[in-house]
Amino acid sequence: MSGPSRREFGFAILGLLPRSEARIEGGFVFESETEGPDLGHRLRDRAAFPAPRSAKRTETLIIGGGVAGLSAAWRLHRRGYRDFAVLEMEKQPGGNARWGENEVSRFPWAAHYLPVPDPRQKLTRELCSELGLLDNGQWSERHLCHEPRERLYIHGRWQEGIEPAVGLGREDIRQFDAFHSIVGELRQTGAFRIPMEEGLARSTPAIRSLDQMTFSQWLDNHGFSSPYLRWYLDYCTRDDYGTPLDTISAWAGLHYFAAREPHELGPLTWPEGNGWIVQRLLERVGSHVHTGAMARQIRRAGGRWHVLAGNAEWEARFVIFAAPTWLASWIMDPPPARWPFEYAPWVVANLTLRRWPANRGLDYAWDNVFYNSPSLGYVIATHQSVKTFQPETVWTWYMALAPGRAADQRRLLLGGDYAWWKEAVLADLERVHPDIRHCVRRLDIFRIGHAMPRPAPGAIFHEERRRRAEPAGTLVFANSDLSALSLFEEALHRGVRAADHILRLASRAGA
Amino acid sequence: MAFVLFLSVFLIAACGLVYELIAGALASYLLGDSVLQFSTVIGTYLFAMGVGSWLSRYLTRQLVARFITIELMVGLLGGFSSTLLFFAFAHTAGFRPLLYGLVLAIGVLVGLEIPLLMRILRERYQLRELVANVLTFDYLGALGASLVFPLFLVPRLGLVRGAMLFGLINALVALWSTWLFRSHLPQPLVQRAASALVVLALGAGLAFGERITDTADAALYSDDVILARTTPYQRIVLTHWKDDYRLYLNGHLQFSSRDEYRYHEALVHPGLASVALPRRALVLGGGDGLAVREILRYPTIESVTLVDLDPEMTRLFSTHPLLVQLNGGSLKDRRVRVVNADAFPWLEANRDTFDFIAADFPDPNNYSLGKLYTTAFYRLLKRALAAGGAASVQSTSPMFARQSFWCIHETLKAAGFRTYPYHAYVPSFGEWGYVLATHGNWQPPQRLPRGLRFLTVQNVASLFEFPPDLAPVPAAPNRLFDQVLVRTYDREWREIVR
Repeated sequence: MSGPSRREFGFAILGLLPRSEARIEGGFVFESETEGPDLGHRLRDRAAFPAPRSAKRTETLIIGGGVAGLSAAWRLHRRGYRDFAVLEMEKQPGGNARWGENEVSRFPWAAHYLPVPDPRQKLTRELCSELGLLDNGQWSERHLCHEPRERLYIHGRWQEGIEPAVGLGREDIRQFDAFHSIVGELRQTGAFRIPMEEGLARSTPAIRSLDQMTFSQWLDNHGFSSPYLRWYLDYCTRDDYGTPLDTISAWAGLHYFAAREPHELGPLTWPEGNGWIVQRLLERVGSHVHTGAMARQIRRAGGRWHVLAGNAEWEARFVIFAAPTWLASWIMDPPPARWPFEYAPWVVANLTLRRWPANRGLDYAWDNVFYNSPSLGYVIATHQSVKTFQPETVWTWYMALAPGRAADQRRLLLGGDYAWWKEAVLADLERVHPDIRHCVRRLDIFRIGHAMPRPAPGAIFHEERRRRAEPAGTLVFANSDLSALSLFEEALHRGVRAADHILRLASRAGA
Repeated sequence: MAFVLFLSVFLIAACGLVYELIAGALASYLLGDSVLQFSTVIGTYLFAMGVGSWLSRYLTRQLVARFITIELMVGLLGGFSSTLLFFAFAHTAGFRPLLYGLVLAIGVLVGLEIPLLMRILRERYQLRELVANVLTFDYLGALGASLVFPLFLVPRLGLVRGAMLFGLINALVALWSTWLFRSHLPQPLVQRAASALVVLALGAGLAFGERITDTADAALYSDDVILARTTPYQRIVLTHWKDDYRLYLNGHLQFSSRDEYRYHEALVHPGLASVALPRRALVLGGGDGLAVREILRYPTIESVTLVDLDPEMTRLFSTHPLLVQLNGGSLKDRRVRVVNADAFPWLEANRDTFDFIAADFPDPNNYSLGKLYTTAFYRLLKRALAAGGAASVQSTSPMFARQSFWCIHETLKAAGFRTYPYHAYVPSFGEWGYVLATHGNWQPPQRLPRGLRFLTVQNVASLFEFPPDLAPVPAAPNRLFDQVLVRTYDREWREIVR
């Protein structure tokens, strides 16, 4: 190999500069719109909203234009059913799969990948086939995560993969092996499935009891003390469920590993994350979606549902409530039974880089994680680009505000102003990329007050969860939080299941 | 008067710190591990300054003349320090001894400066005032240097010319000291002449410093560098030795003018000559226009599209007289359209078809380039290839990177092509490999254009025969999500390159 290039030379010297920070633009996103991170409070306090100016009718009203609501719409549409409308309170549909775009790249604002669904996941595969991701049993090369996929910054260097492999003792390795072999046995039981509802019937009392303890209690019981193993598991539960080891139900923590077949193919991913799927769904059902229409009251009168949303009053025979289920307590009149879950707050930052930070060791991967960091690391939005030359890039940095009570973390989330959060993001990245401040041109931050349900002990077998998740009557719930697991596949499944229920009711009524 | 004196203190202090920073930065750049380099350089330097201060007691007479001599020595040593170090790194094994030797020498000299100057000025000021002022300007100079170094010196001048600029300042301080302290100098003209000489030497260095940097660059190449350009995409270097011109991109040899005809004839003619009445051709990569030159030998060709990322590359090969002579002015031919674009996205957007396609990319030595050798890319290539057409892909060396070669072959097959691997001997590269890819059956050409120096109708068929040491080995296709080729290539070449 040749010696360092002039450019690297320049960087090496710039790295020695006193911290002269280039100007970084940016701010909070989505907060000037209807929601704001304090929407719940406004609804709870029955803040004044403008009176409706028009009356609208439809047979089926879907509340919430996230993945669950759009999946319901997709199903209705596929079945030839057209008399429905989707109400989305934000200007941009997509919910946790929203995305952004600038001159460098598209980028995700939350969910950013879909694991390759195994053959048992018929519904997810059906969607993948329709979207051209799966063709004759072949996954689209373009949309599978390109190599290199994942790396972990540990003990001052990068290693391949996220499961720690550097610095482990013999006992650590034994514990990893033992953990994976228990997971293998649990997988065999068939009680851990995606969608999760499909496995529950196979639950033995022993499996049910996993939902009665935290994951860390379960690990203690099994003598899993390796700090590497525990960090890894904590990373995984924070990454998928925004919940740390000592708060998450052992059942949910184990489900993460036992519900998926180990697969050699990486996940499906796109520059804009799951926003790509949302866009494909919108191509099909977008004309039914009303944005900026926040449902703020739902009541039953004269055998019909009346929904105040935006500046209209909607009348519908059927309602699919695909918005986060906790919202129902604030907008349904009378309110349903108490919804028993806490919701994890998250921070997501998108950084537009004018140049790549100096990088030593392994090449930049799609997912770049830091050992022992409170953050979840960053994902490179331009990774799926097929350009050979990519001088600028966008990185999406994630952090679940996981420890302790969600309400306390939410106060922390809302307490920090933009400068505070910007500093938090840069300080975290700076551990690994000392010259990051010289590279960032723009840094935008999304504060999500209620990003996803926390699957705490008792959540999975909770009576209210199971009752609410079962479609019945003319108003059905559909959000992925009915599964207590915030997964794309769960949202798809819940949405489609709700749509199928409504289709049955509608055909019965029509016949 | 006082102001001028203390300005001198400020300047020599700044110079002293700059040499220390340059030595540290250069050592970090060339050796890596900046913490170690900076810390040892600073330590050595401060220690040497202490030695200088201690030695100052032995200078008892002719203080001003000594001071001027020291300034000139610091100016020369410091001013040429980075030049010397660059050369030592490129040409000798003695970089470290020279580095610490230079740092020691400069440090000792700089350590002498301030004690001497204070003694010279002792008669003009009270001690209290003198110490306060000299140290104030000394530290101010250090501050000035530490700001100028990263913000101006390195980005604008670079290390070589930056050092010379500050050497020049040292020499100028010496020169004006011959006026400032002329009453103390028995023969001011001698000192003045010496100072002027040093000023001239450093001024010349500053003016021609860029050339010296290029020469330092040239040390990485065995031949003379006659052209070097840094573009946003790559470093382009052209070297010359006797009648051999060689092009390097980022230090990797692209062609040698003595035998490139072998490479390019083999790349183009087995495929193109087998196509009946070819009209449209596409060259991906190959901004040197040499493949295009071969394509233009066919009278039926109506258009050639050349897609190369770097506009500077295609500009050089359309305008530089020497390079235009090499490619026969191919890029200026009216049938040729040059597109400066990234090949993969360009091909993804492309809806045209071509009778002949040459994929002439750099070897897959990283994940970015590896994308241009994946089934995803070759499927786009297949879409762009007209019925009855042929595509030929440069496929690294089946000798040095045997499995990589067969991996590229396997990848083309997995993308749905009929494949015909072949190889040719190119002395400057060694045994080199290509894969011909078609939709249907391929027959060796019955005719070749006139004027070829390497290929004949008879010997083309022999290129498709592989001796046992190049014969196929099992390989998996290279895919975007599983770039086996990059890993294989890296492993294989690491076994060859020392």
